[in-house]
Amino acid sequence: MAMDKSSPASLQVLTAGALPTCSAACPVHTDTREYVQRISRGDYEGALDVLLEVNPFPSVCGRICHHPCESQCRRTAIDQAVSLRMLKRFVVENTREYRIARRRKAVVKSDKTAAVIGAGPSGLTAAMDLALRGYRVRVYEKDTRLGGMLAHAIPRYRLPAEALAEDIEDILATGIEVHSGCCVGVDISFEELKKENDAILIAVGLSESHSLPIPGTGSKGVFLGVTFLWDVANGLYPQLGERVLVIGGGNVAIDIARAAKRLGPSKKVSMACLENREEMPAWKWEIEEGEEEGIEILNSWGPKAIVEKDGAVAGVALRRCSSVFDDQHRFSPVYDESVTTRIEVDSVIFAIGQKANLDFLTHTPVAVSGGRLLCDRESMATSERGVFACGEVVSGPGSAIQAVATGHEAAKVVSHYLETGEILKLPHRKIQSIGELPAATAALARRFERIGVDLADPAERIKDFSPIEPGYSEEEALSESRRCLACATGAHLEFPNHCAGCLTCVRICPFGVAQVRRMAFMPARQCQTCGLCAAECPAFAIDVWRFPTSAVKKALRAIVSGLDLEKVARPFLVSFCCLNGTTGRKYLREQPGEEIRDSGVLRVIVPCVGRLSMVDLLRPFELGADRVAVISCPEDGCYYPRVEEWLGRRIKRTRKYLDQIGVGADKLQLFKMDGGGDESWPRIWEEFRAVNMETPVTN
Amino acid sequence: MIVADPKPFLQVKGYVEDFEKVLVVGCGTCTTVCLSGGEAEVQILASGLRIAFGKDGRPKTILEDCVQRQCDVEFVLPILSRVESEGIDAVVSLACGVGVNFLADRLGKTPIFPGLDTTFYGAGMQPGLWAEMCAGCGSCIIACTGGICPVARCSKHLLNGPCGGSEKGRCEVDPANIECVWQLIYDRLKRLGRLDDLRNLLPAKDWSTAADGGVRRTIREQLYDIK
Repeated sequence: MAMDKSSPASLQVLTAGALPTCSAACPVHTDTREYVQRISRGDYEGALDVLLEVNPFPSVCGRICHHPCESQCRRTAIDQAVSLRMLKRFVVENTREYRIARRRKAVVKSDKTAAVIGAGPSGLTAAMDLALRGYRVRVYEKDTRLGGMLAHAIPRYRLPAEALAEDIEDILATGIEVHSGCCVGVDISFEELKKENDAILIAVGLSESHSLPIPGTGSKGVFLGVTFLWDVANGLYPQLGERVLVIGGGNVAIDIARAAKRLGPSKKVSMACLENREEMPAWKWEIEEGEEEGIEILNSWGPKAIVEKDGAVAGVALRRCSSVFDDQHRFSPVYDESVTTRIEVDSVIFAIGQKANLDFLTHTPVAVSGGRLLCDRESMATSERGVFACGEVVSGPGSAIQAVATGHEAAKVVSHYLETGEILKLPHRKIQSIGELPAATAALARRFERIGVDLADPAERIKDFSPIEPGYSEEEALSESRRCLACATGAHLEFPNHCAGCLTCVRICPFGVAQVRRMAFMPARQCQTCGLCAAECPAFAIDVWRFPTSAVKKALRAIVSGLDLEKVARPFLVSFCCLNGTTGRKYLREQPGEEIRDSGVLRVIVPCVGRLSMVDLLRPFELGADRVAVISCPEDGCYYPRVEEWLGRRIKRTRKYLDQIGVGADKLQLFKMDGGGDESWPRIWEEFRAVNMETPVTN
Repeated sequence: MIVADPKPFLQVKGYVEDFEKVLVVGCGTCTTVCLSGGEAEVQILASGLRIAFGKDGRPKTILEDCVQRQCDVEFVLPILSRVESEGIDAVVSLACGVGVNFLADRLGKTPIFPGLDTTFYGAGMQPGLWAEMCAGCGSCIIACTGGICPVARCSKHLLNGPCGGSEKGRCEVDPANIECVWQLIYDRLKRLGRLDDLRNLLPAKDWSTAADGGVRRTIREQLYDIK
């Protein structure tokens, strides 16, 4: 029985509306803390609910999200960020049946219809939101497969087709009408679309690659990045020759280089980009993985000409790029023409940026200027009434989750328009975060290494497009989830009028967080949620959000009141077990009364048994238990410093008291796990129940 | 702060053997701070009584309460009405002796028992340790002794010390735990540049302010006897 329900909405009161840094950094503000806490309690389904609340693409994000949440994770002040993307992936991979079962078809409540052009992450998110708001939604996708760039531009070794399919099937289950293989402007005119629908949302993304105005780009062996990726994704492997040069230093360039390598492991694949290593826009980990696979990166070079021989690529002339950005950090490359080089290659792939294909808007009133769709950022409205736009076509290149975020916003403005006929300017919402973990607190926290996964061996992984990254096992996921600091869910003064300002909390707090300013005060942004102060408070004035002080009492009463104590196997053992010791959810599930009766063991799972007060330890005896076991983490395994010492003292005092009240000290025992809880707990229960104990004579 | 220690459990249990409905009342001030009589200790004692009487086969109703201070009328009124309305047979107080007395004066026919032994006026020396600092003698002399009280802190209450039992700054009564207060006074006066004060012998103390003349009372005219 894991009794750790917290209320995220009320938690924000503690931090005056500021979000944990992970949620604040996420474009859709996923309640990261909550889903990770749910994982740690074995509630994977509940974790999925939290994910789907704001993100219809959790399977995709579990694979490829650039995870700004991790970059901002407050745990980095202690050791390394919690591996949030991998935890997300674990959730979706372990809740597939539940996810299908929870699907609901949206109920059409309005006679208004909206058309969405483009079935990428942004368009599909908006379409789903609009469907859930009760509108009839039609999605037009020029390709036969849905997902936009996710389906065509992200190589399968990073994003398997099945992962994308999971998300898309979920979205389609809301009842969106999809017209795939239907290119607006070719198969159906924009005007026709306009006539049939009350609003139109353009979410066509940036589906075409830029080229460069340099000599030789017409040669055989010159490819455009997105086209190349599309072909690869669709099994149409282009003939590249043995030596390939990718022009560009962003994430798409890396994807292209790594995909090219997979078309023939013996190929020599290089990348040339204007930026130096530190300036490269690609994610650091992607660059490193590319290099492991043998991709050579030529920094600070710009292409001057493609050298051709007999109409085919023979090489590329490069010139030194001495700086890429101007003082205002605008793109403004400066070349040193005196430094040049030439490399011999058989093919060149351009990955220097993408543009939208807006041909379908030619001869329509929707204004396009210089190849860009004119769109007001705040209202997402184009120049034409009732026509809106979202995603990369508006925002420029970004991540999948950023596209999802704009999809949500677009649904709001389109829905407002459909209801009122008016344009809604989205308020500029400044998200406050709770800020970094103060260094003084971090210095006192225990370090626990992030659980990494080993990518497939580079020599193996370049052989095909198989996924290179294994997911977490359940044990790994549970363990990693417990590294989450559950920021700002810690101690607070629940009963201010009980506080005597005695300073016990100040003296016991292992992180130096608690203060007394006439009354106790535990700054929410610093508290590490160990709960020691609540357990030791002589006024019981302190409570902990993450595990309320009253939780043990309530849960025990609820369970015991439903039990016929006469029928429970004796000796009846109540076992307090540390949540952090579980390696699976066998013991995290609700315990049926029958099981308690037959086994004579009632387990209470607590996120650290150090927070059990002396009253908590006595309560089971009051309710009819014969013995109480407290099972803590293995030696030095506790997430919180000094808990072992304080818990040891509390147990010692309680045992002495049990002697005085006639129960006997030996009825309460503190055990330390030996390995994982799932193996060591049953052994401890069995051994402790088997010990012969005479009830001492009172008085 | 008034310091008090929990009475042995069986002694308290013995007090309430003959009652069926017992209320354990804590005090939210001094005894909460010295970890002997706050909300937590109320629950611990009540739980212990329930378990112990349950094991004896004589289960009793043990109720719990805790007020901000048991030494002021406004705070104890809810206890008095609770005792009345709930038909409580006996009260165990986890306040200092002041609180027990104060409640006893107002409880009519309902018996009250102390759950604590009240010990001294003390200060928290370190977490979990309190030591006596004042004896409440009613005539403070510590202006002459650098602010350090020989009445409360000298084992012999000597006004002109030290005695021959002072060795290396420790008191012969319990050298491990007790400092010689006259050594402390000497050191303090030395730091203050007032060692000469020690030449002025303190006159014999007028103890009438400490114990003589019955119950001591204090009046603040600004609040007292307002009609």
